Amino acid sequence: MNKTSNRFRHLVWPLVSLALLLLFNAFFTDNFFKIEIKKQDSAQTVQAPAVPDNPPAPGTSWITPENYENSSDSAEAAAKTVDQAGQAAQAAAEPQQAPEKNDGKGVSIFGYYLYGTPIDILNQGAKVMVLAIGMTLVIATGGIDISVGAVMAIAGAIAALLISMLDAGSFPGASMGPAIYWIIPVVAALVLATLAGFWNGMLVAGFGIQPMVATLVLMVAGRGVAQLITDGQIITFDNPGLVFLCNGHALFLPFSVWIVVTMYVVAGLLTRKTALGLFIESVGNNERASRYAGIEARRIKWLTYVICGFCAGVAGLLAASNIKCADSNNAGLYLELDAILATVIGGTSMAGGRFFLSGSLVGAILIQTLTTTMYMKNVSPAIVAVPKAMVVIIVCLLQSPVFRAKVLSIFASKAAKGGVQ
Amino acid sequence: MNKFATVIMAAAAATLLVAGCSKSDSSKIKVGFSQVGAESDWRKASTESIKGEAAKRANIDLTFSDAQQKQENQIKAIRNFITKGVDVISFSPVVATGFEDVLKEAKEAGIPVVLFDRAVDVSEPDLYKSLIGSDFVEEGRRAGRWVVENVGENANVAELVGTVGSAPAIDRKKGFEEIIKDHPGIKIIKSQSGDFTRAKGKEVMESFLKSPEADQINVLFAHNDDMALGAIQAIEEAGKKPGKDIVIISIDGVKSMFEAILAGKANCTVECNPLIGAQLFDVIEKIHAGETVPSYIPSQEGVYDTKNITKEVVDGRMY
Amino acid sequence: MKKFKFPMRYVPISATILVFFVVYLIGIISFDNFGSPKVFLDLFVDNAYLGIAAIGTALVILTGGIDLSVGSIIAFTSILIAKMIESGCNALWAIALALAIGILFGMLQGWLIHCFSLPPFLVTLAGMFFVRGCGFIVSEESIPIKNDRVFDFIQNDLSITLSKGLHLRFIVMLYIAVLIIAIIFSQRTRAGRSIYAIGDNELAATLMGIPVGRTKIMTYTIAGFCSALAGVVYAIYLKAGNPLNCVGLEMDAIAAVVIGGTLLTGGVGYVFGSLFGVLVLGLIQTLIIFDGRINSWWTRIIVGLLVLAFIFMQNLITKISKSKSKSH
Repeated sequence: MNKTSNRFRHLVWPLVSLALLLLFNAFFTDNFFKIEIKKQDSAQTVQAPAVPDNPPAPGTSWITPENYENSSDSAEAAAKTVDQAGQAAQAAAEPQQAPEKNDGKGVSIFGYYLYGTPIDILNQGAKVMVLAIGMTLVIATGGIDISVGAVMAIAGAIAALLISMLDAGSFPGASMGPAIYWIIPVVAALVLATLAGFWNGMLVAGFGIQPMVATLVLMVAGRGVAQLITDGQIITFDNPGLVFLCNGHALFLPFSVWIVVTMYVVAGLLTRKTALGLFIESVGNNERASRYAGIEARRIKWLTYVICGFCAGVAGLLAASNIKCADSNNAGLYLELDAILATVIGGTSMAGGRFFLSGSLVGAILIQTLTTTMYMKNVSPAIVAVPKAMVVIIVCLLQSPVFRAKVLSIFASKAAKGGVQ
Repeated sequence: MNKFATVIMAAAAATLLVAGCSKSDSSKIKVGFSQVGAESDWRKASTESIKGEAAKRANIDLTFSDAQQKQENQIKAIRNFITKGVDVISFSPVVATGFEDVLKEAKEAGIPVVLFDRAVDVSEPDLYKSLIGSDFVEEGRRAGRWVVENVGENANVAELVGTVGSAPAIDRKKGFEEIIKDHPGIKIIKSQSGDFTRAKGKEVMESFLKSPEADQINVLFAHNDDMALGAIQAIEEAGKKPGKDIVIISIDGVKSMFEAILAGKANCTVECNPLIGAQLFDVIEKIHAGETVPSYIPSQEGVYDTKNITKEVVDGRMY
Repeated sequence: MKKFKFPMRYVPISATILVFFVVYLIGIISFDNFGSPKVFLDLFVDNAYLGIAAIGTALVILTGGIDLSVGSIIAFTSILIAKMIESGCNALWAIALALAIGILFGMLQGWLIHCFSLPPFLVTLAGMFFVRGCGFIVSEESIPIKNDRVFDFIQNDLSITLSKGLHLRFIVMLYIAVLIIAIIFSQRTRAGRSIYAIGDNELAATLMGIPVGRTKIMTYTIAGFCSALAGVVYAIYLKAGNPLNCVGLEMDAIAAVVIGGTLLTGGVGYVFGSLFGVLVLGLIQTLIIFDGRINSWWTRIIVGLLVLAFIFMQNLITKISKSKSKSH
């Protein structure tokens, strides 16, 4: 058998399913593939002067610390903003406002970005795509991590808390303002999430506890911890830096997509260009044999949980950035299940062993496409779960060798019967 | 048996956590309150109002429980309040159905119940003494009236509905439709649930704006401010101007919405007052003293738009 | 004299029972009225549906599998019953239909899991999504059950009044009955012991001649039945049906089973333990409500820590017993 076809065989069914779904949408959903090129209204007023003369960029809050903390001017500033916005809106039906200055953060090249449902799918699906990376590696070692949703909530909570504390302390008109501040919450969130992954790894690899139960602990307690951090409230934030993560654009595509791409590239290099991928697969396939072969199975497993935690941290930041607030109750709810589904659809077996990052990516896109399709068809979110469930079962069946054997045997017997007339 | 020791130590730690509790003081009015959760700014504000008011009143001993938006937790809380022997039970039901048995238990135990914010669906009316809260239907009507007066006779309305099956969502929709049915030019062309949260509001609005009717939408009626604020983000991302291209009206009256109206991003918010801690405890005291109280006490509310929102009003907004 | 050695296998469940009593004691010391028998009865009333669901979950976990569809089935069952009663159907037929659906669905899951070697996690996960969606198709809003003769009969006449305000409700008696049946089943019948055998070592069980496939499918069928029965109890408890409720309940059931001493790998544990697991969870919640000052999210943290503690204990015991058997 051809080596190339072997490498991509696992992608066949997920891609076929995705293609079918997209085909369905092409025919039955208007505007599904309509992609417009929009121009950004204006730059983000991150280092704005005291009275902002630019309306804020789309996706950022119209209140940034600068133009609101100058309290005496803010009403006039707001009024000016409104006037300008009104004039600009009247100028043209299309969003062709005068291009504004970039603030040097590489917001978007030429100020253009793509806008449409497929872009939305990528943006909304970014969280699951990122989670799927870590989940694939964990499942490949024969484990599972159901705490990622709770870790997302924790990451979002700490980021929101820190940024609101920092913003409150920042003084008006600071030139070195929140542009830099956002790094601190991001780093804190990622560190905390990675620690959570370390904790999971300690329980599974260090103490030998069954992965489902070990991560169940954090799943149950994690949201409690997140709520502890936010004191039970939903903390909102407007910091342009944080907001940019999920709402900003770079090079025509949402920034979240670039985060996903980067992480997949790094993960791919890490697993395929170093021996790490091989070790992970071997540990998942047969842990005892791997140990005898000299592989530090414990460390490998521990590492996968740490990576999974890190991915959950990134996803948590994306989730919080998307809605500009940290909702400990709902952030990442059920996303662990989506991540597991994406991984399995992508061809990685839950028993461990061979894993396919590319498959997980396709799986995540498939799930998100399904969800978005349902929304566009005006289907209630809860009913969306039904077709999702059916897709999962069908793909699982298709991947199950037992099922394929049975189906083939039915065809074979029919052919045999047909042959012997 | 090392593990036993660990367990005992954990139990001891739990004791320390809990041991600081005071025994109840019988001269105070013991109130058990079960709140829905902490799902929105509005809910935050109502919780603070209640806790703050109870702290101010020396004769109130408040036991507060947060149900995390789960009905089972509320039922458990109320049952435990009955066992604990509180004098008055008050709660804001997560959902209208399912409380009949536990309220009957309270009645049997002789503990009066005061509802707050939302009503329950029960077959016997005397299972609770009073309901203090907003008239959601009237709020919907006010929104409808504002649209008629300020937008005109022709409007294509996109509606962001609240949590499916909740009293505010059902009633606000009812009130709004009641008013606009006399104006055939005003139509609701899209309606979907945003679950009262910012995230969902944004997501659903995004899908509205990608639907074939997207360009016809010129009014957004959101059942609460949080959803509207999420929708504003979605509208901006679509390149339209919230407040101008799409007139935005919602219900609640939270500070962030006031700020949005001031900045021209939204147009109107119908107030739904959560700061009724004072009113609640007044009623509780009356009931405890044996007085009769009206079965429905509406909260004071107004309608706010660009005409009556100024900087001072925004600063003065407590929630 | 022969030294009495406390059997290792009873340690986890003894620990659970001990924790239960210790926490109860703490409550009695800290609060007035905590010692009232009503607290104990309320634990059963408020958690009967969870308890019945946990019985089914325990049996599935004993075979080494898992069932994530529990919460959704409860919600679906409750709304189905409510809707049928609202449409004028006789409550008994509604209940019978709901139980039948539960049995069939459990059987379907078991069949998919066993015959196609699909992982139980995924199949029951898909089942969870599917049933939740079906619940919404039945009705998007909650439906109260009003003026129904059967339900009123159950509520008013089938409960034993012990004293003022103290009722032994039907759902509590039902739970205890189901629990006793399940204990007898798992300990004394061949099918029940087969479950343990399969959970411990499926290959060995097959070689022994135990009908593994049949037993596994039967286990999932029982779990489906228990979930549906829990749904019926839930409908009685609320006197309403709600498609939105019980989200995440399966995790509570699993936590209860783990705290009750059952190993997730299967083959070890007692159905009886699930009772105490459920009670402990309920007790912690009660404590926090009584206190009124601790924020309710501490419940989650404490439950998480408890699960952790019990896992460690089970781990330790497994290691000790393994080293003992090696030394023989």
